[in-house]
Amino acid sequence: MRPFAAKPGRLWTAWTGWRARRVSDPVERLRLLRHTVGDRRLWPADDIAGGKRQLRWRVWVLAAGALVLAPLGAMKNASWPWERTPLALAGTAAPAEDRVPDVWLVEETPAAEQYSNGLRIERKYETANEPRRYEVYALGRENEGPVEERTAPAGIVFHSTESATAEFRADQTPRLKRIGKFLLEYVRQERAYHYLIDRFGRVWRIVRESDAANHAGYSVWADDRWTYLNLNWSFLGISLEGRSSGEEAGPDITDAQVLALRQLVAMLRSRYAIAARNCVTHAQVSVNPSNMQAGYHYDWATRFPYARIGLPDNYRLPAPSLWLFGFTYDPSLVVQTGESYWLGLTLGDDRLRQRAASEGATVEACRAKLAANYRRLILQWKARMEAARGAGAPEASVQGARPPAVQTDFEDVKETGK
Amino acid sequence: MSRESSNGKGVVIGLDVGTSRVVAVQEKDGKRSVRSELNAFISLPWSKMTEASLARESIPFLVRGGEIIVMGNESARMADLFGKELRRPMIHGMLNPDEPESLDLIRAILRTVLEPESTAGARVRFSVPAPPLAGEGTLTFHEASLRQILGDLGYSDVGAVNEGVAVIYSELPDSNYTGIGISCGGGLCNVAMAYLSVPVLSFSLPKGGDFIDANAAGVTGELVNRVRLAKEESFHFNGNYSDKVQQAIAVYYDDMIQSVAGSLRQALQGSRSLPRFGRSLPLVLSGGGVLPQGFRERFEKALGEVRLPVEVSEVRLARRPLEATAEGALAAALSE
Repeated sequence: MRPFAAKPGRLWTAWTGWRARRVSDPVERLRLLRHTVGDRRLWPADDIAGGKRQLRWRVWVLAAGALVLAPLGAMKNASWPWERTPLALAGTAAPAEDRVPDVWLVEETPAAEQYSNGLRIERKYETANEPRRYEVYALGRENEGPVEERTAPAGIVFHSTESATAEFRADQTPRLKRIGKFLLEYVRQERAYHYLIDRFGRVWRIVRESDAANHAGYSVWADDRWTYLNLNWSFLGISLEGRSSGEEAGPDITDAQVLALRQLVAMLRSRYAIAARNCVTHAQVSVNPSNMQAGYHYDWATRFPYARIGLPDNYRLPAPSLWLFGFTYDPSLVVQTGESYWLGLTLGDDRLRQRAASEGATVEACRAKLAANYRRLILQWKARMEAARGAGAPEASVQGARPPAVQTDFEDVKETGK
Repeated sequence: MSRESSNGKGVVIGLDVGTSRVVAVQEKDGKRSVRSELNAFISLPWSKMTEASLARESIPFLVRGGEIIVMGNESARMADLFGKELRRPMIHGMLNPDEPESLDLIRAILRTVLEPESTAGARVRFSVPAPPLAGEGTLTFHEASLRQILGDLGYSDVGAVNEGVAVIYSELPDSNYTGIGISCGGGLCNVAMAYLSVPVLSFSLPKGGDFIDANAAGVTGELVNRVRLAKEESFHFNGNYSDKVQQAIAVYYDDMIQSVAGSLRQALQGSRSLPRFGRSLPLVLSGGGVLPQGFRERFEKALGEVRLPVEVSEVRLARRPLEATAEGALAAALSE
């Protein structure tokens, strides 16, 4: 694992500033800066008013060195080939995270777990899979590669099974239970989610929280510091039995399911200190690398009950796939999924435009660069995963495990476990 | 390095598409020219005589059904003449969704400020507002529409520049394009901070000249257009106002100034991606909103009261406040 990339130094910026001051023509000076420092992220994010603490002598030493070493002609050359990276623009700062709830385990048996907020987790279908291990990227500096390896889940992806079910009526109870049982057996076999909440609000653990599950395939998310790829490994998957894209009446989800989901989310957020903005729906994270479009899966593309489960409306967050990796979206998706998801897409588009503007590039050029970067990262990630599996990673010992697929055939994107 | 200016490279244009005015600064063969039009219109009943008169006077207009739409600088004079309110194709820095003709009107106004013979090989950079501080709203439609209109007018090399950043590009070369640029326009106040030309912070506030005019008109019972004229022709900050309109204008001006200063502090405190500046920063004010005498001092005082987390070395007005954004867009175009 590569360590954190070195932060660009203050010396470098001071030197560049000094170089720029040598250029008398304002337009030439601007061009020099925009083509050199203009698109680099130069500073640590932890200090704003630390100027007085700067080690000024280092600047002077460097400036003196530059005088000796750098030919004046070269100082005017604006075409420096340094790689450009995006900027964090204002107006987009992450909102203050809401308080992580305090929930604890009260009782544990081989059959179930009971939690302090009323949550009960059924363990009958619990199974193992490939242990969770994933890498994160520094937000805005994804091109530098992963900077950290982790094993604790960073977020939650909400799914719906989109499976056929019976009408939710008392006289349909036996049928509802039978359908639910088949579904549980299927998702267990596929290691499709970490949790499934059936029509009666019962919470079933499928894949252990310590392991990855096949729930999100190609997917992208980012919070205010980190970027996550392929969320099978980094995010927990919770699915609600039923359809998220219901008719006019709305999603086919019961009140019992919503209540159970609220309790489950509170427990998981408490256990792993999961930020609220990292609790998002499958539609918000799903991408299709074959055509570079977001929203490959669109379960919970709209009307996910964020408020009812105690979360902010995360549909309002700009879609990271658009502004970090240049994905686009099919306009028909907007029509189909409604205003809430539409907002995240357009905000993501806006962010991309800001990014392009800050880099002095056209939107198309910026998008193409980001898309190429995404493909490169995916290929690198695949190579690392295959190397790890070839080296006899622990998952080989899990009987019947279905390790999340390592996909890079962009023309044939398939996922198990909708 | 050879200076890639307009010399031998065709025409380079910086365009400020503001709520209140559209300003184009054009550089061709090393010479600059500035054209400006009011980004407003009024509609008059159509008559053959009116149409002929407007054509004879070279006043830009459109005929729509039974109406003549007069746009640009002349629309203000006519609005005052006929006692009608000016209408705007843009609101809060973006195309006005309530004006069905907004795209056609913007197209017509842009045509009047851009020289038709200068399209071949021309490079155009136009200003766009920053996202609002609250994170609401989208700029996509606005920016895409302007690109399309400019494309329709024959410009192929078209790009957008953040308005506050453009002010920095125009006014802060002496500080290596490091500092804070604020543009107080008709619909918005755009704020940006840059470090060595890199935009590190930008946001907009939906409080501009229109906010002042509408609210002052509301409390005084005057026409908005009359308030606007009073503001532009005679208002200044002196703490001693002769009439109710001037007093109301001062109240809402203060509201705007305090909002900008407070929001800047909030944005700085909320941003996690700011550099170590190492020195105090200049702050430059531009836009039509900064023109009243005493504005700079008022703003400086408000800034002192909010205690920014960065040190500001000076608060100054742009050399030409009405042209600073367009000049900055031109600098962006030239420096690519």
